[in-house]
Amino acid sequence: MRKLLDRYKRSRPYSDYLVFGILLACAPLLVELGVLRFFQLTLIAGVIVYAIVTLGLNLLMGYGGLFSLGTAAFMGLGAYFTAFFTGNLSWGFLPSIIVTVAITAILGMVVGLLASRVEGFFLAMATLAVAEILRQVFIEWTWFTNSFVGARADFPTFFSFTMNRNQTFVLLVVFLVIAMFVTHSIANSYTGRALSAMRGSEAAAAAMGINIFKYRIVAFSISTAYAGLGGALLMHFIRFTEPNAWIFTLSLMLFAAVVIGGVRSVSGSVLGAFVVFGVPPLILQNLPVIGDVNGLAFIFTGVLIIIVAMYYPAGLVYVWHDLKKLVYKARAKWGRKV
Amino acid sequence: MSTPLLKVENLSIAFGGLKAVDQLSFEMNEGEIYGIIGPNGAGKTTAFNCITQFYKPDAGQVLFKTKEDNVVNLVGKKAHHIIELGLVRTFQNVELIVSLSVIENLLVGAHTAFKTSLFSQILKLPKARREERALRDRAEAVLADLGLLHLKDMPALMQPYGIQKRIELGRTLMLDPKLIILDEPAAGLNDVETAALVQTVKDISTRYKCGILLIEHDMNFVSSICERICAISFGKMIAIGTPDEIKAHPAVQEAYLGKDDE
Amino acid sequence: MNIFVQILFNSLETGGILALATMGIILIFRTSKAFNYAQGVISMFCAFIAAWFMSETGFNVFVSTLAGVVGAVSVGILIDRVVIKRTIKLHSVSKQIVTLGLVIVFLGLAPMFFGNIPLTYGRFAQGTQTIMDATITNSALVNIFIGVALMAALFFIIQKTKWGLAVRATASNDTVARMMGIPTSIVTMGAWAVAAALGSLAAMMVAPTTTVNFMMMDSIQITALLACVLGGLGTFFGPVFAAYLIALARNLISFYISSVWADAIVYLSILGILLINPNGIFGKKLVKKV
Repeated sequence: MRKLLDRYKRSRPYSDYLVFGILLACAPLLVELGVLRFFQLTLIAGVIVYAIVTLGLNLLMGYGGLFSLGTAAFMGLGAYFTAFFTGNLSWGFLPSIIVTVAITAILGMVVGLLASRVEGFFLAMATLAVAEILRQVFIEWTWFTNSFVGARADFPTFFSFTMNRNQTFVLLVVFLVIAMFVTHSIANSYTGRALSAMRGSEAAAAAMGINIFKYRIVAFSISTAYAGLGGALLMHFIRFTEPNAWIFTLSLMLFAAVVIGGVRSVSGSVLGAFVVFGVPPLILQNLPVIGDVNGLAFIFTGVLIIIVAMYYPAGLVYVWHDLKKLVYKARAKWGRKV
Repeated sequence: MSTPLLKVENLSIAFGGLKAVDQLSFEMNEGEIYGIIGPNGAGKTTAFNCITQFYKPDAGQVLFKTKEDNVVNLVGKKAHHIIELGLVRTFQNVELIVSLSVIENLLVGAHTAFKTSLFSQILKLPKARREERALRDRAEAVLADLGLLHLKDMPALMQPYGIQKRIELGRTLMLDPKLIILDEPAAGLNDVETAALVQTVKDISTRYKCGILLIEHDMNFVSSICERICAISFGKMIAIGTPDEIKAHPAVQEAYLGKDDE
Repeated sequence: MNIFVQILFNSLETGGILALATMGIILIFRTSKAFNYAQGVISMFCAFIAAWFMSETGFNVFVSTLAGVVGAVSVGILIDRVVIKRTIKLHSVSKQIVTLGLVIVFLGLAPMFFGNIPLTYGRFAQGTQTIMDATITNSALVNIFIGVALMAALFFIIQKTKWGLAVRATASNDTVARMMGIPTSIVTMGAWAVAAALGSLAAMMVAPTTTVNFMMMDSIQITALLACVLGGLGTFFGPVFAAYLIALARNLISFYISSVWADAIVYLSILGILLINPNGIFGKKLVKKV
């Protein structure tokens, strides 16, 4: 009860997002100071990008109640499109990103059309099939993707100015904060409520005049746009990609990030992305003994998903609320004794 | 009297061989509280779903006088179109969106009143904010009328059943409807809650100047609230009249109490 | 003529492998009300058990396969007792998330036990036969036989025996089944054990051509899931039929149209069929009462 009340009170957390972003943007400084290692910054950049994609997937799953197992393929599309636009066509970073996001959003609408007919389990399978077809495209259309040789891109370029690695990292953080803002705005707009209504009760949604057909397409389009953006941003940071980067397992991991972090929560998505993509390589592998065991990172994530799904369905983001509640109770008890 | 608010003509639907609604006809006037009663399994909810176009009727017409005083045949219209014409419904098993707060549930009811684009919602442009503010104010006014204002930011999930029914009623009021159709509003309520509901429905009808069509099997509830009643059994209309006429009607007694064999 | 016969035999073999995997998924879907996304990785893990057993002990492929199947049954029972049993009350979405978790767990367990290097696995038979001008390997014939025989046996068990009745009762309504005295918990456990065994057999049949590696079952798993939705989730027969159908379509397309795009074309056709009939070929539409 309290948990939910707290959530409704916190309806304007924009300043929190901003502070979070500013703190995160300091990570390159830590590298310069020698606190963080070079490759760890790459991992954090990955977490940031996956957090963006998770936010989009959360709008689709948590709010819209629709499932996608094809997110990775849309990230791949984003990566390849931006590589093609900035490389082959020599576009600047911004136009490339904008067009990439637009294209992935439109392709998302096509998947959304499927979603208007196919439901639940069938829908998840249908997105899986779409993803497999896209992966085949990544492998075969060498002129576009360079197949297994891999496609390349540069750090973002604005007119004649090219960013360096640290500046690109800060750019990713800026995009994450924007994505958090946008997600929060959508979730609390009438579009967000329409998505919630669609998930909560399709009959009620239809009775209230919500066009379910339209909102399924909107939900898919938004989530694939996030995925396309994420893929494109990652491409400009890592500067290389190949078809095996966008396999089913990645879609699964993104799905896991939404569930573990907490559905219907902006901070939950970011937390989930960090737990799934950040904790295993950044923390687990640096521990003595445990870090040396093969495959342990996978087991950690997998067991965490199972435990969260079984015993903590609201997601890890509510651990904080529940801890506070415990402290509250303990204090009340203690207070009475004295 | 001018044209009726709702005129149902020869409405029929069959599932397989079963005629769930058979040649149903009735009409109600503007601002009237009208009841459709019948024992369990009489086809009330099916008739309801045919009027609101959740099911597609096999035959018949549903003529509705809209906010602009045009008479429109609802058959074949899409749900979001019907709601814009001024006809809203509730559900037998309350269908609230449990993940939203009370006021958000009302705002879902106002969905078709929101016009700003997704783009301006994302950027929170003044236009979108004004729209949200205006509809929130309206939602608060409706909640105040229903005596629920103190609950507005509570999650809808945890409200008692009686309150949930009121929230659902409030949701139908967001769009200034001409006609509200309530599906078994008294089901699952105790006597005190039912009495309160009678008062609420009467208040709503006068304050919001809308017609109310009740689908019920509880004869006492309907009698205490409706001016006219249409009784149906096995999908067919068996009698139309005032509550007293209906109660005294032999066919209605037979449908409710069974045929006297002796 | 011989080309068509060749394609037919190939399809029977790949279809049989696919049917085994599909049967495993639909068996669990019907008894646990959730897609088992982990079917593929569990099969992969059990193929590793068999291949590891073969290389460690030097036994022949039949004994090793038996070891793999025994391993699969144990893994299936273990998963059911440790995890699935505790998820009975959960919503089916949560159950599926649990199986997604299992996918990731097994992807971690496999390298922990068996290292990162792919293992090889032998065929069930050597040599070739010529039937109606088409050349068929003996191992393919064995695979075809195993596929058809196992499907026939399973359908017999499901339709004609007491245990089959228990499975069907659990599938149609587990609460009622439990009230009627059917041990649904054992039925579910059995379903997981049998599903793991079927999957591991499929994995051991493809192993000679792909080697035993972490990704060996990925495409079969995806195709099997699609076979389930194509065949409809209401029957056991539909998905198995769809599995053979997909294999045949895939082989025909790969020969007559394009081998590179065969999978993509098959997937697109399945999507097309789902658009026309969203509940699969043999599916029924459920209407929600409001």
